[in-house]
Amino acid sequence: MGENFFQREFLQPRRLAFNVIFYGLHLFFFAYGWHSQETNKKLSALNALTWSVWTSRGAGLVLAFDGGLILVPMLRNVIRVVRPRLAWLFPADENIWFHRQVAYSMAFWAMVHTTAHYVNFFNVERTQVRPEIALDIHYKQAGGISGHFMLLIMVLMYTTAHHKIRHQCFEAFWYTHHLAFFFMIGLYAHATGCFVRDSPGPDYISSFPFYSTEHCLGYESWRFTIWPGIIYFGERVWREIRARRATRLSKVLVHPSGAMELRIIKPSFKYVAGQWLFIQVPDVSGWQWHPFTITSAPEDPYVSVHIRQVGDWTYALGERVGAGPQVVAAMTKAALKGDEKDDRAYGSRGDFVEIDSTGRALPAVRIDGPYGAPAEDVFNVEVAVLVGAGIGVTPFASILKHIWYRQKKGTLGSLKRVEFFWVCRDAPSFGWFQTLLQEVEAAQADPNFLRINIYLTQKISEDMLWNIAVNDAGAEYDPLTLLRTRTMFGRPDWKSIYARMSQAIQSGQYLPGTSAQLKTTVGTYFCGPGVLAKAIKEATVAAQCSSINFTFAKEHF
Amino acid sequence: MGNLIWHEYARYVALTSVAYSMWAAFWGILYRKYFFDFVHGIVRSPGGVQPAASDSIFITVIVKAPIVQILSMLLAFGYLALDYPAPFLKGSVIHRSFPIRIILLFLQTFLSILYYQGTNAALYSFIAAMCYVRAQVKGEMMADAKDNKGRGGGKA
Repeated sequence: MGENFFQREFLQPRRLAFNVIFYGLHLFFFAYGWHSQETNKKLSALNALTWSVWTSRGAGLVLAFDGGLILVPMLRNVIRVVRPRLAWLFPADENIWFHRQVAYSMAFWAMVHTTAHYVNFFNVERTQVRPEIALDIHYKQAGGISGHFMLLIMVLMYTTAHHKIRHQCFEAFWYTHHLAFFFMIGLYAHATGCFVRDSPGPDYISSFPFYSTEHCLGYESWRFTIWPGIIYFGERVWREIRARRATRLSKVLVHPSGAMELRIIKPSFKYVAGQWLFIQVPDVSGWQWHPFTITSAPEDPYVSVHIRQVGDWTYALGERVGAGPQVVAAMTKAALKGDEKDDRAYGSRGDFVEIDSTGRALPAVRIDGPYGAPAEDVFNVEVAVLVGAGIGVTPFASILKHIWYRQKKGTLGSLKRVEFFWVCRDAPSFGWFQTLLQEVEAAQADPNFLRINIYLTQKISEDMLWNIAVNDAGAEYDPLTLLRTRTMFGRPDWKSIYARMSQAIQSGQYLPGTSAQLKTTVGTYFCGPGVLAKAIKEATVAAQCSSINFTFAKEHF
Repeated sequence: MGNLIWHEYARYVALTSVAYSMWAAFWGILYRKYFFDFVHGIVRSPGGVQPAASDSIFITVIVKAPIVQILSMLLAFGYLALDYPAPFLKGSVIHRSFPIRIILLFLQTFLSILYYQGTNAALYSFIAAMCYVRAQVKGEMMADAKDNKGRGGGKA
């Protein structure tokens, strides 16, 4: 891509700060661990092993730090609670990214630590500073056994977490990653057995923690690293409890485009627009939780998700609710036929079919969530630019609906205008979303409040081109999307879009009534692939000027 | 969410194991020790395990001269070239063969279990080999046109 390693890692202030702090702390812990071992008079017997023991102690302390950090980004509920207060400090949506950085660092320091210990034990056996042989330490003592187990677990977890494997077989990743439980047990147990000591044999006592700190001189890092583990475990238990609260699948609607809409009623489930949840259907799989964006607005009496049948789990779910691929295909066909006969100005693409649940009761579902997204603060900006690309458009269903509800109630906050961009390869596959857009568009009293811009990036054939040219001219609705808004073709030119917006705001045409002295905030909320995110971000930065503040937020899945 | 393609998974385990082998063999050359020296050996203080005379052949090729370690490292580099793969091997018949990989990984298992540092390398190589065996048994094939991202036409 356009930037090299140096530009990416060092020339962006936030990234630079992260690198300096994160890796700086690692080096600090390594140096401290090394130094405190080397200068500890009580451990002079071990210090006869020289650099290898200093390295292993330093790297061990770094690994304790990483072991404490690795679960922190996974505390989803804690993050959701603290994010409104701490959003300025760290990007709460980059939690998986951070988890990965810790994991990479952990792999590196595990290599350093293990290598040093291989040398240590070799020399312990040779010099007999303790009366044991190398393989005893490796395979008969808690430290050695847990260490080797952790390494094996790491091999399995890292390899199955590779993005290719994760996309190919999510289950392999999901189940294997739960080895983390044993990994954490190994981590907390790794320093047991009074491993770092000034006496030849371990000095155990009969009361907790069952070793005397008189002679057992480890870093006692488990006292710190165990807390994220306990909190994480508690969170998993809490999620389980919360998921068991009364939940009912009230309706399954199948949209002609093939998407299933599940409407779920769970009174205890509170959320805001743009968030997502995990869903579990015990009839399909009792263990798997699948993430979906919430497509209903908080004002709706139900929680809905739209599910397209694309994978094993979603197919199985379709079969279970009686909307298997064949059913959907038949329905699509019927709908298309009906469409052709229909002579109305705009077709019946929006019609959906409710699945008849008289034969077999609808399956039980459990939902867990909600989990955060930056789109919560749309109402704090004057102009909201919502950009959805491809499947990334789903969170905006909820947000647009929510805006529409607030518009009806007249509680829009500072929000004056909404620009909605939908960049997508083939719009017809998101038929259900078009329906929603139709409703929202039709409900607009002020034509300037919401502007919908749809960009179709797929290459269009010559036939289609003619079709559009002929049918589009003078028609009230766009022939492709059945919206009043015209579909545009090709990729949007973000730079000129933002430049024009900035100009229009400055000249006062865009937001009538706002005086130029007041600073206007234009918030961009993006959901979609990273490449596009970068292009848009650059455009927002380029459009920045004294009276307009452009902000940018990206949502992750 | 699809099915696991075993040979693609096996590749990651195999690459991990050869990276481990290289590093282990390097340290194995610096600190030479026969892994199974404890079997008939006696412990002397200081000096550690003194292997039995019956193991002298292993002592010759591991401790006196680090032949096993060097072979293990060369094998690891060779395997890396095969499975990463090196440009000149890409798409060739050997690159597409699972049996060659399985044999090399078992050989790596055998070599690296002999010296002190190689135990985990042996274990991971064995796991990788088993994954490739599974791929072979399931009749998986290396995709030829993978590099052109599924677009038909020219071969890589």
